[in-house]
Amino acid sequence: MEIPYIVNARKDTGLFNSKIAIWLFLASEVMLFGGFFSAYIFLRLGADYPWPERTLPVLPGLINTFVLIASSVTVVFAWAALKMREWRNFQIYMGITIFCALLFMVLKGVEYNVKFHHQAVRLDDYSIVEGHLGYEKEGKEYVLDHNGKKIEENMIRLEVENGDKITFSSVRFHPDWVEELISEAAHAKAKIVLADDLKAVVEEGGKETLIAKKGTPLSVDLLKKAKGIYLNARGHNADLRTKALRQEWVVAKKQNPGKKDWEFSEGVSIDMDALSPQLLTEVSAVEFVVEGTAELLFKPRNIKEGPEQSRLRDDTVIEGELMASPMVFHNVDAIDFQHLVMEAEKKGIAPETAIENSWLMQNNEFVREAWAWHLGEVAKLRKMLIDRHGYKKDSEGNLTQDPKREPTHKELYRIGWSDFAKKGEEYHNIELSALERVREKFMGPNYKARGEETFPPLSIPRDEIRFAAKFSPAWNTYYALYFTITGLHGLHVIGGALVLAYYLFFGRKMYLENPEWLANRVEIGGLFWHFVDLVWIFVFPILYLM
Amino acid sequence: MADSIEAIQKSKKTYLLVFGALLVGTVLTVLVADPPVFLYWLDVGDHGFDKYDAIVGLMIATTKAALVALIFMHLNHEKKSIYWIFISALLLCASMFGLLFLAKYSPIFDHFFYL
Repeated sequence: MEIPYIVNARKDTGLFNSKIAIWLFLASEVMLFGGFFSAYIFLRLGADYPWPERTLPVLPGLINTFVLIASSVTVVFAWAALKMREWRNFQIYMGITIFCALLFMVLKGVEYNVKFHHQAVRLDDYSIVEGHLGYEKEGKEYVLDHNGKKIEENMIRLEVENGDKITFSSVRFHPDWVEELISEAAHAKAKIVLADDLKAVVEEGGKETLIAKKGTPLSVDLLKKAKGIYLNARGHNADLRTKALRQEWVVAKKQNPGKKDWEFSEGVSIDMDALSPQLLTEVSAVEFVVEGTAELLFKPRNIKEGPEQSRLRDDTVIEGELMASPMVFHNVDAIDFQHLVMEAEKKGIAPETAIENSWLMQNNEFVREAWAWHLGEVAKLRKMLIDRHGYKKDSEGNLTQDPKREPTHKELYRIGWSDFAKKGEEYHNIELSALERVREKFMGPNYKARGEETFPPLSIPRDEIRFAAKFSPAWNTYYALYFTITGLHGLHVIGGALVLAYYLFFGRKMYLENPEWLANRVEIGGLFWHFVDLVWIFVFPILYLM
Repeated sequence: MADSIEAIQKSKKTYLLVFGALLVGTVLTVLVADPPVFLYWLDVGDHGFDKYDAIVGLMIATTKAALVALIFMHLNHEKKSIYWIFISALLLCASMFGLLFLAKYSPIFDHFFYL
C-alpha cells in the first residue's frame, strides 16, 4: 500500500504529512520543556536555601554545547546531501551526527557519575561540607563486610549482644533486609533465634498450636508464615466483630422503637469476652533474641537510631548499643557557610559571629586555617573591586573611594574546591601539569596529586548532621531539577540518535527506490534533532551558568 | 523551501555562517556569566551574577534559539499551517510562565517580588 502525501505535498497544506506531524509533536515538546523551565523559575524564586549558582563544571557543558551545535549543522548537511543525491556525503555527515550524539552522552555520563559519588552534608548549624567519603580501612587494607564489599564510612553501627531483642513487624518486614541481618549475624558468628515459642490459634474454636519452637533460627520463611497467620486472623476476627456488631444493632433497634440511631448508639457495643473464644491470634510482631555478639551496619536512610533501641524503615525494632557512627570524609573539597549566614541573618546574628561559632570552626583546625586564608582572599577581592569600579570624583575633582560593587554571597561565604586547590598550591608548593588541570575541570579535584594537605579528612559526629546526601536529586531542588531536565533531554538525544542511525544504516534500500522519501524522512528526523539542540541552548545557560 | 540544487548549495553557506554565530554566542554566554579577569567590563549590573547577567544570558540564548529555528529548521520560509502550530505552542507555553505571577499573591513568595 502506498502512503499518501509522504513524498509530495498535499494541496491544502502545501506540505507533506509527516512534516505537519513532527511539528505537532514538537509543539507538545515545547510545552513539556516549558513546563520544566517554569518549574525551575518557581523553585528558584521560592528556594529557602542559597541557590547553588554556577555549581556545575562549565567546561564539559560548554563542550557539549559545541558538540550538539556541530551535530545540528551536520544533520542539515546530511539532508542537503540527500537532496543532491550524494549518498557518500550523506553517510559521512550522518555518521558525524551520530558520533556527536554518542560523545554528548559520554560526557553527560561522566558528569552524572561525578555527582553520584560526591557527598554533601548539612550540619545542625546549617554549614555545609562537601567532599568524598572514604571506605573503612585497617592499616592499608580495606575492611570488608559480610558480602565482601568495602564499607563506606557513613554507616550506623549497632552492637547487639546476648539477649538483645530484635522484633519484626510480621506484615511490614522487608525480606532482603532480613536476609542481610541473618548473613551479617552469621558472619560475626552470632545467631538470631526465636525468643519464645510462637503459638497461635489458627482455627476458630481450636486450641493454640505451636508454630515454631523457641530457639528456631530467624528466617524469611518463618516471618512469612507469621505474616500469613496474622493476615488470616485479622480478616477472620474483623468478620466476626462486624457480624456481632450488626447483631447488636438489630437488638438495640428492637429495644428502642421509634428512636433515632444516634440517640441510643452509645449503648451499642460488642461483648468482646463472649467473642474471644472464637477469635484467632493476631501475630502482629515476632520477637527474636540474639545469641552471641555482632556489629550490625545500616545505611543512615534505612534506620532511625537511638542509644538503646533503633527502628528500621520496615518497623523492625532492634535493641542494641549505638556505637559511634561518624560520617568520615577522606577528602573535604568545599566548606559552605552561605546557608548558615542566611539562617543567622534571619535571627539577627552577624555572619561573622555565626561562622566563628559554627561547629566546624570550633572543632577543626584546618577549617580555621582555611577560613583565615579565605578572609585574606576576600580582602584582595574587595580591593580589586574598588580599584576597578570604586572611585568617584567629588566636586573638587579629587578621587574618593566609593565601593559600588560588593563581593557576592558565594564569594564571601563559600570556599570551593578551586579555592582549596589555590590555597594548597600557595602553602605547599603543589604543582600539577596542564593536562591534569584540564582533567580536573571534568572529573573534579585530583585528590591524590593534591594530597591531604589540600583536601583534608574530616570526621563528623552523627548527631551534628541535619541532612546528608550525595549530589543526587535528594540533596536539593536544584539537583532534582538538574537531573530531571538534563535526564529528559538526554533521553531525547538517545531517541533522536537511534532514529538517525536507522536512516544511516538501513536507508540504502529506500535511497535506491525513492530517494526523495528518504530525504523527507531525514528532514523530519533533523527537525527533531534541531529541537533537541534548541532545548540544550536554554538548558546550558540556565543550569550551568546562572 | 530550498528545493532546487542551486538553492541548497547556497543555503549550505548560510548554515556554516549560522554555525559560526552559534559558537560565538555560546562563548559569549559563558564570558558574560563568568567574566575572566581581563574582561571584567563584561560583568554587567552589580558584581557577580545577578538579574542583569541573567537577562543578557537569556537574550543571547534566545537569539541562538531563533537562529536554529529560523535557519536550520527552515522556519524562515515555511507554510502557514506550521506557523500556526508553532505559535500556538509558544503562546500556551508563555501563558504557563505567566502563571508564575499568580505566585505573587502567595505570602511565601512575596519577599522575592519586592526585591
